Amino acid sequence: MTSPISGISLAGLTGISSLGSTTGTAAAQAPSSTGGSDFASILASSVDQLQSTQSTADNLATQAATGDLTDVHDYMIASNEASLATETVVAIKNQAVSAFNEIMRMQV
Amino acid sequence: MALFDAMSIAGSGMMAHRKWLDAVSDNISNINTASRTSDDAFKERMVDVQAVDYGSGDGGVRVAGVQFGSGEGRIVNEPDNPLADADGNVKYPDIDLGDQMAELMMAQRGYQANAAVIDRAKDAYQAALQLGKG
Amino acid sequence: MTALHSALTGLAERQRVTADNIANVNTPGFLAGRTNFENALKSAVGNGATPAVSGGTVSRSLEPTNTNGNNVNLDSETVIATETGLRYQLALNALDGKYSLLRSALRTS
Repeated sequence: MTSPISGISLAGLTGISSLGSTTGTAAAQAPSSTGGSDFASILASSVDQLQSTQSTADNLATQAATGDLTDVHDYMIASNEASLATETVVAIKNQAVSAFNEIMRMQV
Repeated sequence: MALFDAMSIAGSGMMAHRKWLDAVSDNISNINTASRTSDDAFKERMVDVQAVDYGSGDGGVRVAGVQFGSGEGRIVNEPDNPLADADGNVKYPDIDLGDQMAELMMAQRGYQANAAVIDRAKDAYQAALQLGKG
Repeated sequence: MTALHSALTGLAERQRVTADNIANVNTPGFLAGRTNFENALKSAVGNGATPAVSGGTVSRSLEPTNTNGNNVNLDSETVIATETGLRYQLALNALDGKYSLLRSALRTS
């Protein structure tokens, strides 16, 4: 699975690289060189960061439910970051899958 | 929540000022209550307020207690009054209407200011809930 | 941005301290509270560091008191409260704009 994917250049994902400038939401790091980074490892680290933003949002949601939440905007910020991180990972996955399908079509 | 804290603090402020309003209206309505010279006159009600956790912790204000003014009153000669004693004197409370009206205005102003704080905290909270929806 | 998050937390704390001042507008011996988060935020942003998300420092105002030791000025507290509320909405708007920007970037890719 990794060999056809790692050869894909990341130039097609420049639309998402602007997320790298947001502290805390960097689900997709802006690639410094196109085609040299291992796409699989970037996807894996994005999923990890997604996991942590989602668990932060879950914790704050629990606090909001029990009334322990200090500031309401803390929860709103965390939930927005989690949903943006999720959308980013989904977008990366979709790009990867469609690129993979292109390649598979070519070989046949 | 810092915003919910603001609401409960303003709520305590409203309650304390309302108790003050109650005390002042009690004084004003009894300003012409006569009593026998042998009894105490109607004593002015004064509300004691204290800050809750001054400077740290919950914040807000609470009514520490109600104090009573002096029962001396002023002696007025009113022979027709059914409560008059042998000399025809009755006692009236020594409460100044001007003072009480000034306190009434201060209590009302404080009450309204605290109500405005609750409104503002509610608006800020609702605006925060819209984050990410627009 | 963390700077906006930090500003929101500082403004919420200021709203709370101002509410405390207004509730104690007639409490004898009460000195008005003042918060400051702008200094720490400005220096963190100026140094390029990530600002801390905190409510800022709370201190007691040393303005002259009236006869019963209370120095809460209701007019200035009202102005502070109104300004804080508006700045809170502004910071929320700025964050909201940032989020919708990111969302539209995700959609076009």
